[in-house]
Amino acid sequence: MKNTKVLQGCLGLLFCSIHGLLGSALDCPDRDAGGTRCSISVEKLLDRAIQHAELIYRVSEEARTLFEQMFIPFSFHAQQSHGGHLCTSNIFPIPTSKSEVQQISDKWLLHSVLILIQFWIDPLVELQASLDRYDNAPSDLLNKTKWMSTKLMNLEQGVLVLIRKMLEEGSLELHNNESVTPYLLPTDMVEHVLRDYAMLSCFKKDAHKMETFLKFLKCRQTNRPSCSIL
Amino acid sequence: MERKETLSLLCVLVCVWTQATYTQGSTKVPEDFTPEPIVLPHFTSCRSREQETFRCWWSTGSLANLSEPGALAVFFHQNNLMPIGWQECPDYTATVENECYFNKSFTHIWTSYCVQLRATSQNITYDEYCFTVENIVHPDPPVGLNWTLLNVSRSGINFDILVRWAPPPSADVQTGWMSLKYEVHYRVRNASHWDKLEQESGSQQSIYGLQTDKEYEVRIRCKMSAFDNFGDFSESVFVQVAPIPTKVSVFPMALLLVFGVVGMLFLLVLIIFSQQQRLMVILLPPVPAPKIKGIDPELLKKGKMDQLNSLLSSQHMYNHDTYREDPWVEFIQLDLDDACEKNENSDTQRLLGLTRPGLKGDDDSGRASCYDPDFLPDTEGLLAAHSEMEERHPLVSESSPSTPSPELAETPFFPVQSQPVSQSWINMDFYAQVSDVTPAGAVVLSPGQQNDTPSKNPVDKTKKEEEEAGKEEEHEKKMKLQLLVVDPDRGYSHEVIARQVESSGAPFCSAPEIAYHTLPPEPAEEPHGWHGEYLAPDGEAQMAYFLPEAPPASMLPPVSDYTVVQEVDDQRSLLLNPSARQSPACPPNPIKHLPSMPAVPVGYLTPELLENLSP
Repeated sequence: MKNTKVLQGCLGLLFCSIHGLLGSALDCPDRDAGGTRCSISVEKLLDRAIQHAELIYRVSEEARTLFEQMFIPFSFHAQQSHGGHLCTSNIFPIPTSKSEVQQISDKWLLHSVLILIQFWIDPLVELQASLDRYDNAPSDLLNKTKWMSTKLMNLEQGVLVLIRKMLEEGSLELHNNESVTPYLLPTDMVEHVLRDYAMLSCFKKDAHKMETFLKFLKCRQTNRPSCSIL
Repeated sequence: MERKETLSLLCVLVCVWTQATYTQGSTKVPEDFTPEPIVLPHFTSCRSREQETFRCWWSTGSLANLSEPGALAVFFHQNNLMPIGWQECPDYTATVENECYFNKSFTHIWTSYCVQLRATSQNITYDEYCFTVENIVHPDPPVGLNWTLLNVSRSGINFDILVRWAPPPSADVQTGWMSLKYEVHYRVRNASHWDKLEQESGSQQSIYGLQTDKEYEVRIRCKMSAFDNFGDFSESVFVQVAPIPTKVSVFPMALLLVFGVVGMLFLLVLIIFSQQQRLMVILLPPVPAPKIKGIDPELLKKGKMDQLNSLLSSQHMYNHDTYREDPWVEFIQLDLDDACEKNENSDTQRLLGLTRPGLKGDDDSGRASCYDPDFLPDTEGLLAAHSEMEERHPLVSESSPSTPSPELAETPFFPVQSQPVSQSWINMDFYAQVSDVTPAGAVVLSPGQQNDTPSKNPVDKTKKEEEEAGKEEEHEKKMKLQLLVVDPDRGYSHEVIARQVESSGAPFCSAPEIAYHTLPPEPAEEPHGWHGEYLAPDGEAQMAYFLPEAPPASMLPPVSDYTVVQEVDDQRSLLLNPSARQSPACPPNPIKHLPSMPAVPVGYLTPELLENLSP
């Protein structure tokens, strides 16, 4: 698939770029006085974060499709599309419409993104472990899952920097001691396959959220009238 | 009885069950079973165009009473953090029938919706449909589709275009609310198959490899990235590029090529015709005719012997001595007796005279001095007795036993060119029996006494394996021919003569120990020129080989007629072994112990025979 190849190419480039970016970005705040290399703009940083989020979102979609084709019977697939998943993170209210997003402040957006990212880091690791236990899981799926968890952590770093730069706040940690997994899934779903499928679908949705929020942020940077109602 | 009861019970159960299912179902089906299928009210689709609003459509089905407006209601439910419960459709579209419109405030992405179609009057839900909004998004088609020509190929056959478009205005891509992917289709106009290009998220794409003589149709559609729902196609755009006439550049090239080829052909033809002779020589070289160095073949053709002789003599190939007046005489002449020397001239004359076919008188004249003239008539008679014989065998010379001088055997080795000698010896019987050897070394021949084979006709046998088994006597007269065995350089004739002598008669099956002794060659001084080059007569092939018939084994061996030459003593006389009588009980095939000798033409020895004979 050319999509995959394009994606992988972008991933490579983005990974290298954001890695360097994040590295330098992390070092910069400590040496604002003297370092000339730390003059990376917020826009560039935001652009890279958006690209990262886009890639994660596309890869999550591909992983979900792959998993669905391999393990999910068609009947259940139909049911899923109708019934939806009970995997929305109900930790905090998240804007669900464009109008709502437009009304939300930058701070809130960034925080939402960060929360989402931090929410999914551990479940992804669990998902990866669960997929490894499968007998005939395609290697492509495993690679994608692995990649997603890696990139998510990178994105977390980038968003932290953004928060620091845009909001000029310190690092923010999620105080979430609750175990996410039981909340994430309905209790009657005991089968591993269905659980993993639900997890992939939910992650895809949340990745979409991240991308959307970051794009909105970017839009607001350009001060276009349509980006914010305020 | 029991069966009937169970059957009826089953029927009842079935009826109840069907009724129950029907009541549970969406509609209440009348009891009369209509043959046509009943279609219940159901949702046909729910769609969102821009991910901010969405609509749902339904159909009333085939039930008549439900087709009235207001008979059905749509309720929806969304799984939010704050579940409100079922709500009725916020907006039943007035203009469109059976449509429920959800505006922005009611549209929430990342939440799952469920809509239900219920009957207003009754508590019946006919249909339910659950979804999430982003999964039902079908974007509007892109707008502003246009194309520009990128380039045309050199040949003017192909061209490339760049297609541009704009995202649908309803989709908010600037804020990133929707990220779209576009798919361009194109085809030859009115063709059945559309070609698709890779999905592009930008706003332009190139199409390569279009043909100028065709009209193309291009259209585009889009979908949300990471989703599968394509929107409708845009309006088609037609592309056509007029072919650029480029024949002008091709024409001179073709013309040049044609002219070049024609010119080359013309040149080639010219060369061929001008250099025809030379080409013929080069291509078909003449076959060289055989040439003898120094000798004009014309001379040979015309048979001018004198000139040829002079030519040959001028060469140093041949010895002058060979072609003196009497070459043969010198070969033959032995310095044995002085008595014969005075007869040289006569001998010469004899030899020369021998060349003539009628040799009766001439041949013998020379020898008359050396030999008993009495034999002359005998010889003549003998010769005359032989049928069809005109000339004497060159190896057979008439001599009288009394003459001691073995001077010259009348073996005129005629030069080949002089005469076709073979003709003279066709029918001569040269096989003679050696009766005696003169002290001078001459072998005296006597006609063999073959009683059984009195045939006078020469046998025209050309068998080469057969030995000349014997002589053939045609006359009963006892003639004695003295065969003068003269001694050429190599004893050449001796062998032959001895062979022939020996081969006559029955006693061929004599003991193999009877060896042929060849007289040691006594090189005479004069005849040194003759090296045994015996030119085969021209008419050799024409000759009939004179093969006397093999005498039957039962024939009594003649007494004292055949002897074996055992050796030659110092005086060059053949020593015959009279004791070596041949037994009559000899194997009838006496030929074998004789060295095989091909059928020798009478009187001639070819060099091959020489080789065979030489011990």
